[in-house]
Amino acid sequence: MRLIGSAPQLLLVAGLTALQVGDSVSEAAEPLPSPPLSRANRPRVVSGDVLAQVPRGRQPGVLQAAREPSNDEIGIHAFQFTRAIYTGYGRRGWGGRSWAVDYPKADRQFLFNLVRMTNIDAYQLENPVRLDDPELRKFPFLYVLEVGFMALTPPEVEGLRNYLLAGGFLFVDDFWGDREWFNFEREIRQVLPEFSIQELSLDHPAFSAFYEIDSIIQVPNVGNGVRGWQTHENGGITPHVRAIFDDNDRLMVLINWNTDLGDAWEWADNPYYPLKYSNFAWQLAINFIIYSMSH
Amino acid sequence: MESLFEFLFKYRLLVFQRGDFVLGVPWTVFVASVVGVAVAVPTFLLYSRVAGKSRPLDRVILSALRTMAIAVILFSLFRPVLVLSTVVPQRNFLGILIDDSRSMRIADADGAPRSDLVQRLFGDVEGSLKPALADRFILRFFRFSSEAQRVEDLSSLRYAGTKTNLGGALDRARQELASVPLAGLVLVTDGADNTHESLEEPLLALRARSVPVYTVGLGKVSFPRDIEVSRVETPRSVLKGASLVVDVSVAQTGYTGSTVTLVVEDGGRIVNTQDIELPREGEVATVRIPFTVTEPGPRAFRFRIAPQEGELVAENNEQEVLIVVEDHIEKVLYFEGEPRHETAFIRRAMQEDENIRVVSLIRTADNKFLIIGAENPDEELTGGFPTTREELFGYRGLIIGSVEASFFTLDQLRMIADFVSQRGGGLLMLGGRRSFSEGGYAETPVGDVLPIMLEPVDSEEQFFSEVYVEITPAGRTHPITQIAGTLEESENRWGELPPLTVVNRVTRTKPGATTLLTGEGPGIAESQIVLAYQRYGRGRVLVLPVQDSWVWQMHADIPLDDMTHETFWRQLLRWTVASVPDRVQVTSVVDRVAVGEPVELLAVVEDDTYLKVNNTEVRVRVRSPSGVVDSLTMDWTVDRDGEYRARFVPREEGLYEIRVDVEEGGEFLASDASYVQVKDPAREYFDAEMQAPTLRRIAEETNGHFYTWETVSTLPEDIIFTDSGTTVVERRDLWDMPAIFLMLILLVSAEWGYRRKRGLA
Repeated sequence: MRLIGSAPQLLLVAGLTALQVGDSVSEAAEPLPSPPLSRANRPRVVSGDVLAQVPRGRQPGVLQAAREPSNDEIGIHAFQFTRAIYTGYGRRGWGGRSWAVDYPKADRQFLFNLVRMTNIDAYQLENPVRLDDPELRKFPFLYVLEVGFMALTPPEVEGLRNYLLAGGFLFVDDFWGDREWFNFEREIRQVLPEFSIQELSLDHPAFSAFYEIDSIIQVPNVGNGVRGWQTHENGGITPHVRAIFDDNDRLMVLINWNTDLGDAWEWADNPYYPLKYSNFAWQLAINFIIYSMSH
Repeated sequence: MESLFEFLFKYRLLVFQRGDFVLGVPWTVFVASVVGVAVAVPTFLLYSRVAGKSRPLDRVILSALRTMAIAVILFSLFRPVLVLSTVVPQRNFLGILIDDSRSMRIADADGAPRSDLVQRLFGDVEGSLKPALADRFILRFFRFSSEAQRVEDLSSLRYAGTKTNLGGALDRARQELASVPLAGLVLVTDGADNTHESLEEPLLALRARSVPVYTVGLGKVSFPRDIEVSRVETPRSVLKGASLVVDVSVAQTGYTGSTVTLVVEDGGRIVNTQDIELPREGEVATVRIPFTVTEPGPRAFRFRIAPQEGELVAENNEQEVLIVVEDHIEKVLYFEGEPRHETAFIRRAMQEDENIRVVSLIRTADNKFLIIGAENPDEELTGGFPTTREELFGYRGLIIGSVEASFFTLDQLRMIADFVSQRGGGLLMLGGRRSFSEGGYAETPVGDVLPIMLEPVDSEEQFFSEVYVEITPAGRTHPITQIAGTLEESENRWGELPPLTVVNRVTRTKPGATTLLTGEGPGIAESQIVLAYQRYGRGRVLVLPVQDSWVWQMHADIPLDDMTHETFWRQLLRWTVASVPDRVQVTSVVDRVAVGEPVELLAVVEDDTYLKVNNTEVRVRVRSPSGVVDSLTMDWTVDRDGEYRARFVPREEGLYEIRVDVEEGGEFLASDASYVQVKDPAREYFDAEMQAPTLRRIAEETNGHFYTWETVSTLPEDIIFTDSGTTVVERRDLWDMPAIFLMLILLVSAEWGYRRKRGLA
């Protein structure tokens, strides 16, 4: 694989500021809670099973927004940033909406710059889909985060396994420390027991699919990033990019551990959140999206 | 009938055909005129005046009868004669050409082989025509199959020739007897010429020299019971692993409605079978049988139907064809204007295909490209989409994804059109928001080569719909669309696939294009074209105006181990680049010959921009089955650009390899290889019935005569009437023909009888 042409300049924050995406999301997603300032007060459903409130298909249940597009609108585009809805227990116990962290602002801000920096014809809104929904197979790219709190049901295990073996690509983000790793590893072993998890070295073509990435930066959550005194949390000191390949050496799962790319997208418009983290978060995600769409 | 004619008219019809009719003496005309008037006038006056009991009608009838009787008498008095040119005995030569090919062994002459009839007609046996002919002519015998040869008698005939060349035999005999008085040629054959060479020139030469050819047709014009695999159409070379759908034509007599099994074998291994219900007599059943070629190298594929009970000729139940299964890599350039999942899934589908290399050039941002699969990453496509013909023409196929026409320069658009028409490459355009009309291809050189009509787009509203794919009648038997084991299973499978989506409204093809897949869906008034193609110049152009064929891999209804998507794409790209010409192409006119039959080689040489190269050095190495290598030089034919010819004669059975190297100024340019199978061909048993129309034509065009076994006994008598050779003019009276006498009696009796009936006697 080889790249030609000059890399686009990253003017991500400037673009987001001009868009004032935070405001537009708040208005559009009414009555969604305001964007949280910290992980502790992020929006979540506090009573009942969140999945019970999320209809099948591209209906995100309680998060159904006035701007939810029609099926036709979403299908017309070449790319949908699809977020996995999974069963989990969250930081406040069973029923916590760990899948919905940063949702939907992170998704929208990421998509805004994805379209701006690349030729990808992306659907501009969020697209959450349950793992046990057959509709999932219509979206070959899947984003999932907070997998340290993931507790997949058997239909979800089967749904995700079939999705990945059929050709889907899973982008994992925002989980920290050994405890969350072990939880994720246990869950993903249910899904793909026959494939091993391996460290992805920087010479992998995905790291140069669009931007030339020569080092892995730890991207802090918004609180740590704004305060600027540490980037890690929950003992996850070193960021890792790991992967699961199938028998044909196809990259099925990309695991970003000890890093929080989603917060970097979500808070890229915050003047106190360091630009370098947002830039890296975008670069890494864009590279792997282009890689997944071309390999 | 012939004998009745001869009884009435004294001579056989042939004598009348050969002779010129004249009246004996000049004064008879005057006398006859006077007598005629002298008789007719009084007769007329007498009848007109003497009415008696007669009515006017009676008088007319009686006058007519009397006048006709008088006319017959006058005709005899005019002394009609036939002037004939006849040969002088033992002063002329007669060439007797006898078919020595294998088809003469067919036993359709009342259970005896055709060769037996030859012996009975021209051998030294009782009842033979030979003595009668020898009395009149000096006989010269020739035997012929692929070539003609003088023989002393019939003892040297072996009936083992593998080809029948009627024109060549006539030419050879005419030339050999050019210096002697030649009365004619007798061609004894079944007429089953299998050289496919025109008879026009040999017959013209014979006509110019006034040499009549007497054709003697042996055998039946139709076998009572026979099955013939009459035609098998296969490509000469394919890529290893290719799926083929081969047309096989089967003709039959005597087995109408029966079901037989067609078997396809690759080197003895059965690769497919298909039952065929035989058509009515005179009709040809054409079946399409799919199979996959898996073994590389020159392969002999046999298509056979087991001999049926009562079949006279079993050798024509099978055909063997040579297919060169190539095991090299064909490069296909896939240019995509934006990252799309389609790219990844196409690459995955082609990943296991060892013979197709897809080089992807993806425009990830403006002026930024990602190159995947390049053979030489430091050089290939480093400047983006090729800007020179040399670079683009290095690929055999080109896929254009969702990229707008305005991305290309006008020269690049023309170059893409030339890639198809001039280089002979395969072009495939995919659906997408920047493809077809939506991509502004209307009225561009690329739009011109597409097999579809580019319709105006509504800039306000983007077209989008789901389409459920349906297979067309043409698609049912096309190699691309064979996604299951049999034609029926493939057809059913297409109906089960989940819908795709389209953003380009494509509903009409250009004249001459073929649609293989269509689509119906909500919001689509007219059937959407999903897969269509046409030939354009030397190449093929295909369109697949859907944007997400990957759904056939990812959809929840598709089992994980399903190979539909992979199979479809492999077959699509293999067919797209199939038969794309190389810079040097060597072919033999036929791929199967017998030992000793000359093989004509033809090479076409082009440069790296696919312009024809004349007058360069083209060398051929012919390797025999035993490893002996002969070197030949191919000569430019002058009359056609880039075309070189040579010939060689194989001396042993087996597979000959022909390798052509092209050099210019000592520098190697390109090479190609071809194969010829040297083996006893079975062509003598195909269309082996007696070809009466051909033999009749030869006879008629040379002023000869066509005979069958039943009529040939008159040959020695007929053959003496000829203008060719040393001849004398002979006059034969006709006044005493029994027919004249009978006519006279008939007319007089009629008059008498009429009078009696009317009471006028």
